[in-house]
Amino acid sequence: MKTDDSREILLRGERLSKRFTDKDRQIDALSEVDVFLRRGEFLGVVGESGSGKSTLLKVISGLLPVDAGEIYCGEERMTGCGAREMGKRLQMIFQDAKSSFDPRFSMVHSILESGRGKRDLAEVRALIDLVGLDSVLLSRKPAALSGGQCQRMAIVRALYNGADILLCDEITSALDVSSQAQIVGILKKLKEQRGLAVLFVSHDIALVRMLCDRVLVMQNGRVVEGGRIANVVDDPQDPYTRQLIESARRQSL
Amino acid sequence: MRRQLKLRILLAAAAAGILLFTVIFAGVIAPNDPYATNALAIRKAPCAAYPFGTDNLGRCVFSRVLFGGRTTIAATFFLVLLSFLAGTFIGMICGYCGGWADRLLMRIADILLSFPQMVVAIAVAGILNGGMKGAMIALGITMWVSFARLARSHTLSIRQEAYISSAILAGKSGLSIICTHVFPNLLAPLFTNALTQIGTTMIGLSGLSFLGLGVIPPTAEWGSMISEARAYIQIAPWAVIAPSLVTILTIVVFNYLGDLVMEYREAL
Amino acid sequence: MTEAVLQISDLSAGYGQEQVLSQVSLTLHQGEVLCVAGESGSGKSTLLQVICGNHLPVSDADRAGRASFLRIESGSVRFQGEELTVTSPSQRRKRMGTQIGLIPQNPAGSFNPVRRLDAQFRETLKSHGIAYDRGEIVRVFDSIGLSEPEKLLRCRPYELSGGMNQRIAVAFAMLLAPTLLLCDEVTSALDVTTAITVIDELLKLKRERNMTMLFVTHHLGIAREIADRIAIMHRGRIVEEGPAKELLAHPSHEYTGKLLRDVPRMAEM
Repeated sequence: MKTDDSREILLRGERLSKRFTDKDRQIDALSEVDVFLRRGEFLGVVGESGSGKSTLLKVISGLLPVDAGEIYCGEERMTGCGAREMGKRLQMIFQDAKSSFDPRFSMVHSILESGRGKRDLAEVRALIDLVGLDSVLLSRKPAALSGGQCQRMAIVRALYNGADILLCDEITSALDVSSQAQIVGILKKLKEQRGLAVLFVSHDIALVRMLCDRVLVMQNGRVVEGGRIANVVDDPQDPYTRQLIESARRQSL
Repeated sequence: MRRQLKLRILLAAAAAGILLFTVIFAGVIAPNDPYATNALAIRKAPCAAYPFGTDNLGRCVFSRVLFGGRTTIAATFFLVLLSFLAGTFIGMICGYCGGWADRLLMRIADILLSFPQMVVAIAVAGILNGGMKGAMIALGITMWVSFARLARSHTLSIRQEAYISSAILAGKSGLSIICTHVFPNLLAPLFTNALTQIGTTMIGLSGLSFLGLGVIPPTAEWGSMISEARAYIQIAPWAVIAPSLVTILTIVVFNYLGDLVMEYREAL
Repeated sequence: MTEAVLQISDLSAGYGQEQVLSQVSLTLHQGEVLCVAGESGSGKSTLLQVICGNHLPVSDADRAGRASFLRIESGSVRFQGEELTVTSPSQRRKRMGTQIGLIPQNPAGSFNPVRRLDAQFRETLKSHGIAYDRGEIVRVFDSIGLSEPEKLLRCRPYELSGGMNQRIAVAFAMLLAPTLLLCDEVTSALDVTTAITVIDELLKLKRERNMTMLFVTHHLGIAREIADRIAIMHRGRIVEEGPAKELLAHPSHEYTGKLLRDVPRMAEM
């Protein structure tokens, strides 16, 4: 394990809470979740659908306002500053790769547009190379690409934006295992080459095990267990974590 | 199935095109001056000089239908375009921003929609004392609502798309997202709505003119022509039939076109 | 050897000019679970479409050239001795459900989202000439571990999660008790824990009712859990076929090796 605990903390969320009101029911999507991410570190967040892991990403990215809690980037307090401002520090990749791109625009248009005024076609080409795509695809629209290709384009767009934190929301769960393996390979490469920090949300603890240094296990909006991925997988404390690992074991080879 | 639909759309569009063409070039096509009275040719039956006959004052009905079409169609297009722009703008703001402005504007829309459109129009046109401008305001007051509601609901669903979140994270402002991502993706459904509104608006404007709340005579307009000529329908039926038929024809063509386009979009 | 439930020989099929399946041959015996594995676009779903009979009648040459219609070029698909490639739509309707059942990837899409489940159960059972017995449905729900069956029956599909709908689709399949059950990527939209529950339910169905299943997936880990035999599909061809354990332990085709490597592993690192 090469996580260096002395590395600076890029992102920190303290006691984050978010409540949704649906008709007369109240759902605590997040209750007092603590999270931090160091430079060059991969943190996995696992849990089943509805456990609050996607809400966590939306709250951190500023796409949803928090009800309570604080968000810091480094030492700077970022609570409530909104997604436009947070976008300078972090980028997000979504589960539905195709809908991450405006259907009317070509890939190159969408990617350049996300560069905050920067128009560096050479850099885009280099990034396309990095994720193993053909630059011919740049002129295509999302409908003409496969889900896996779109997702790799979404990674290119996030990197072109220049942020050093990536929030990944179930980015492989709509893809087949082969495309999934490609995305995992790309993320590993980015970790080694660029020191990218990633918050990786997934329901599949086997994937998290392959990619991440640390893991948080969420259930019903709370973190039930957290720590080094190897420790959690080898010696799970919480019954839900055990069930998650058992399910994943049976599906892995 | 798709090919057949496309063909039908092209035919309907061609019919609409011919209608627009004849009306726009009314000045060239019309055989007579639509306002020139002729005491010697009062209520003449259709003949070579007067293809649709003449009215009570000896004016050429054919020329008046052409020029009247200019008034009706120009006013309709202008009104639809204006409602389209205003309604879409309001709907997008409501859908994108939400909050109190959304609640207020949608309540107003609900109130306007709770009365039949024509009743509101007659009341407002009456207060404004007639005239084409008054009639347009009267119809426009409720017409933007359908565009606003449609734009709002589409904006709400587009707002959920991941590409909007991506654009926000890329630092784009709300206004620029509305212009580059929301508005262009709304255009298709709103354009379809605009097409179907053309027919309704035409009925509305002609209806108000028929009631004497639209154009001020002697300006040629289909509704007012029908209204004037209906007094002597037994003597000169052509003076009523001609403007009635073109009104029906125009409304059918545009409604049919709108329905076809909607069907085509749903089949996609 | 028991009689083959499904016998596909030299099947080639495609959309328009494009060939999606080339010379596919598969045999499925009573009580056996065969898993067809491959990437998206390999032709697995098209294969299910052919078995369900969603292809053009061979005589309809007019529409065969169009890309939106599935057409069969050659080969045969025999279900209990009956040739499926030439049957009429009415025969097809009679067969689907009671003889051949299908659990789709997204069952919520095949239910009416706003209609109560009991009404949908009643209608479907009636259309297949099976008596509606609420007690039997409750018993089936119980047997696959769906708690509070009565309450569940009063729910509408949109109120339920994807995993729940998937399990109700399994219950549907059990009630109709088809000879052959087709499963199209039934676990890929579910999270890991729910996926395992659904797999366990299908395994139970196989064990208790000796049901024959054709299971399509891209995930070899899932395939290992459920399949007796696995067929690997790549670009419309079956590149390798064999007993599940042997095939996974000693893949002979290069592509199988790649698929195996792509499955996330718990033991790695």
